[in-house]
Amino acid sequence: MNIKESIESVRKSFRADSDPFPNDSQAVDDLRVKYLGRKGLVANLFSKMKDVSANDRPMAGKLLNDIKQEISYVIDSHIDSSKSDKSGKNESDYSLPGLTFPVGHVHPLQQTMDDIKSIFMNIGFSVAYGPEIDDDFHNFSALNFPPEHPARDMQDTFFIDPETVLRTHTSNVQIHLMEEKDPPLRYIIPGRVYRNEAISFKSYCLFHQVEGLYVDKFVSFADQKGILEYFVKRMFGSETKMRFRPSFFPFTEPSAEVDIWSEKRGQWLEILGCGMVDPEVFKSVDIDSDIWHGFAFGMGIERICMLKYGIDDIRLLYQGDMRFLEQF
Amino acid sequence: MRISIDWLKEFVDVPASTQEVADILTMLGLEAENGLNTTQLTDIIIGEIKSRIKHPNADKLSLCQVFDGESMLPVVCGAPNVEAGQKIAFAPVGSVLPGDFKIGKAKIRGEVSKGMICSESELGISEEHDGIMILKNTAKVGSSFIEYFQDNSASIELDITPNRPDCFSHVGVARDISVKMSAQLKSPDTKARKFKNNEVGDWISVEFENVDECPRYVAGVVKNVKVGQSPDWLKNRLESIGQRSINNIVDISNFVMMEMGHPTHMFDYDKFGSKTVLIRRGKKGEKITTLDEIERNISSEQLLITNGKIPVAIAGIMGGLESAVSEETTTVLIESAYFDAPTIRKGAKSVGMITDASKRFERGADTNGAENAFWRVVQLLEEVAGGSWVPGVADPYPKKIDQTSIELTREKLDLLSGCEIDDSFVVNTLKGLGCIIKGKSKKWISTPPSWRPDLVREVDLIEEVIRFYGFDNVPSKYHYNGVMDAHNPDPHKGITLMTSVLTGLGFTQLFNNSLQSNRKVSLLDIPSVKIMNPLSDKMDQLRTSLIQGLLETADFNAKNGSPDLMLFEWGNVFEQEKPGLEGIVEKFQISGLIHGTLHKVSVHRPKERRASFFTLKGLIESFLSRIKIHNVVFNPDSENDYGFQNAYTVEARGDIIGYFGDISHKFVTGMNLDLGQSFGFQFDLNKLLPLSDNKVKYQSIINFPIMERDLNFVINENTEVGDVVSIIQKNGKTILKKVKPYNIFRDESVGENIKAVAINLQFQSNTKTLEDKDVNSVINEIIRVVSKKFSAKLR
Repeated sequence: MNIKESIESVRKSFRADSDPFPNDSQAVDDLRVKYLGRKGLVANLFSKMKDVSANDRPMAGKLLNDIKQEISYVIDSHIDSSKSDKSGKNESDYSLPGLTFPVGHVHPLQQTMDDIKSIFMNIGFSVAYGPEIDDDFHNFSALNFPPEHPARDMQDTFFIDPETVLRTHTSNVQIHLMEEKDPPLRYIIPGRVYRNEAISFKSYCLFHQVEGLYVDKFVSFADQKGILEYFVKRMFGSETKMRFRPSFFPFTEPSAEVDIWSEKRGQWLEILGCGMVDPEVFKSVDIDSDIWHGFAFGMGIERICMLKYGIDDIRLLYQGDMRFLEQF
Repeated sequence: MRISIDWLKEFVDVPASTQEVADILTMLGLEAENGLNTTQLTDIIIGEIKSRIKHPNADKLSLCQVFDGESMLPVVCGAPNVEAGQKIAFAPVGSVLPGDFKIGKAKIRGEVSKGMICSESELGISEEHDGIMILKNTAKVGSSFIEYFQDNSASIELDITPNRPDCFSHVGVARDISVKMSAQLKSPDTKARKFKNNEVGDWISVEFENVDECPRYVAGVVKNVKVGQSPDWLKNRLESIGQRSINNIVDISNFVMMEMGHPTHMFDYDKFGSKTVLIRRGKKGEKITTLDEIERNISSEQLLITNGKIPVAIAGIMGGLESAVSEETTTVLIESAYFDAPTIRKGAKSVGMITDASKRFERGADTNGAENAFWRVVQLLEEVAGGSWVPGVADPYPKKIDQTSIELTREKLDLLSGCEIDDSFVVNTLKGLGCIIKGKSKKWISTPPSWRPDLVREVDLIEEVIRFYGFDNVPSKYHYNGVMDAHNPDPHKGITLMTSVLTGLGFTQLFNNSLQSNRKVSLLDIPSVKIMNPLSDKMDQLRTSLIQGLLETADFNAKNGSPDLMLFEWGNVFEQEKPGLEGIVEKFQISGLIHGTLHKVSVHRPKERRASFFTLKGLIESFLSRIKIHNVVFNPDSENDYGFQNAYTVEARGDIIGYFGDISHKFVTGMNLDLGQSFGFQFDLNKLLPLSDNKVKYQSIINFPIMERDLNFVINENTEVGDVVSIIQKNGKTILKKVKPYNIFRDESVGENIKAVAINLQFQSNTKTLEDKDVNSVINEIIRVVSKKFSAKLR
């Protein structure tokens, strides 16, 4: 009997022994020892390799490995799932579910952030990022929040030390950008921001913002309206009803908030803040406000995400609950 | 600021519908809170707080007994303003608040709580969340809150932005409406009284330590007042905006503040302690008991009103108890001052108080309003409290504050607005707001009124013009001027790719909190950035690694029915390398973990696949190859600070770009988790992003056949297969394309401490069809080198 025949005979014998597969664990162990044990039939086959001619060796080695794998596979799988069917009959029952692979999910915040970015990038905005921990100058003073100004109360701030904060908005990057680059500028700035607010269904200690900055020689309130209307209609649909409502931010003048109308709730929902860059901001970065004008806007990604998907509790976004994430 | 519609009507004709008034104000930037969403508050009833004690186990909580009309219920409340005797909006167990917030029976720090006492913010009425909503005493306990609210909504809540101190008053709000509706504004009577002799000079004089901090102080005396209840009209006015009536004197002061916006203070002249008002800084060690009966420690941060010796009030914040008006008071000393805004703000902050007065002063009061309010108070003290004015007024105004004129040009107005607004509209708007206008068309000179400290520059005037013109009436421009070439690629472009590759491989993306507890952060020996004023000690520092968040999320999911997990997150972690802001390093990372079973048993797949070191390694190999980072080297990393055991470093172009391995058990024990072994990775995104951005260069496809050979080496157990593979690769000449170990065999027949490794080799030439002899010479060389290097034998 050459090696090939020996292998085949072991295979036949194994198939006979394993069909039906033994039920009690002692019999399974016996089966394993008989074939895969140190002095088992498979080991015996390997010991015969020395007699095989050099030419046949690669082929024989492969066959030997195959049978060893087959036997281990059948025994292991019966142990894992004690009674699964090895007959191959499943293969003709097409009503069985397919063989699935795990698939992951992109976080809804990421999807929203990507949507917002792509809308603005399509109309020529670049993207910039900046530090989450910054000094008072970039987060407040340069944005025309003078020390001891009540506007600072608008944003509850986490301090690292009296001069260092966890940024309360990505507007700090506006300042970095204008310090580093000369106008004209057209940027959006996504990123994580922090607010020292009690955690509830509608507020969290951090959230994500996309800030926008557009500086050029002739930029008007009307340009700002055009660009933000374009954004809102791309994001929420071309039929979206929206309004610009006067507001106040220290770093813009005039300032506005943009609301969209929710038919379902029967009310206006605030979605972003904006305004013409305040001359004081230009002054703090040495840009001549007689020549350069611009507008800036900022929106909370969470808010837009929650509106878009109908999420009613902001905490779900940071909990990592698979029952939530699997829906996206 | 709450505004009563009825009160407003004294000064301007307003539309009949409250909603319409609210809409007009909202579109002027005085955001009126949207009406009550009544569908959500059907379960809310009116309760009464029968008693209140401090929570035995928590300093900031109170334990209340609330009567709901039927029974007495224990309720734990965290609001600072909760007191016995209050009527409140009560959410009973089982009710649902806006935001689908269900009220359940709870145990809070060991005390049972059956229901919740609501703030306006929780009810969705306003943003007010500093304290609970206190209802009128006439509210009927046990009845529906919605009914109460509708009956009493003759007022609207305005969210006043910090730039509009003038709108902390009914007259201020009326003025904006009058301009918008081109209606007449009727102001209250504040005419200065005439007098022959300044008799009050014998009663009181005013001295200043620093006139910059108190540029104006108006004082006067009204004698023979009768302290008592306020007349109904006065009580009703105050109650209509949620203020409690105290007595006629105090009510007058509050009334004038709500009417005209200027805070005044009433001292009991006989308890004032001298005939001199001295305004000076506090001194360390000084104390004053304020009207709220709390003893305050004074420092040099606060500006004080003193009688020359001791403090009688904290300037612009709150009066002292000792000199306060009481039932015995017969003579009132009136203070109507103008204080410097930053001085009051610093003082209020340092003493930890926010009052109606401080709110107004710190945003910028009205220098002339100080005088007007004084005369209004005098008039009311006579009218309401039967007092008689001591002729004269002490009104030293040592630092006169003049309104500076501002130039407004047509050019700038058109440029910023993007449209053309009529001259007459510009002039009428600014005049209506109280500006004095000179010049015409192209260039106006405008002097803003003293009550608008926010109007100091041209752009501020432009804002007013556009605000009243209506933002919605400005056309929207849909074309660009310039900078079309500014579009650079997104520096985070690679993250989009990585996210899609990882999710494709089965990973789900997370966003975890960056704020963590010391317990979690200290599991790694990385100095963390600490927060000075954390929300709680569970979030008092910034994460130094993404691993803890991933593990915590994995644990949460394992406990909620999903123990089989592949998770990843990208984001910043923070390290305090050296002290100060300069010493903080923000590290941009992407990390992930796998845990549990990745491929479950199915009819087709009899054997499950568990998360293991090799699954992780394979996933990392697939990930890196898909984001085009090739030729990576994995090296064992015995010393790993990032929380991996059996760790490997990932090197690309000679640089360590990340780590992977078994996630250290110290996390599971340190964070008290119930997780089995998980395997994780961490990459430095600042290194990954540029590497993955390499330009792909197409290489022509080779059509010559591949020749396969298997080698079966017997090597020492201690020899790593990876080393054998790399030696083979090195000796493969140009024709060896792939080397893959496919089986390892251990058996007695092989020998003790020996293993047989079967390796598949693929050969291919770029220029010809390979023949046996071409391959054999390479194979022989490989066998020779491997045999020598590892004392290996062929099987």
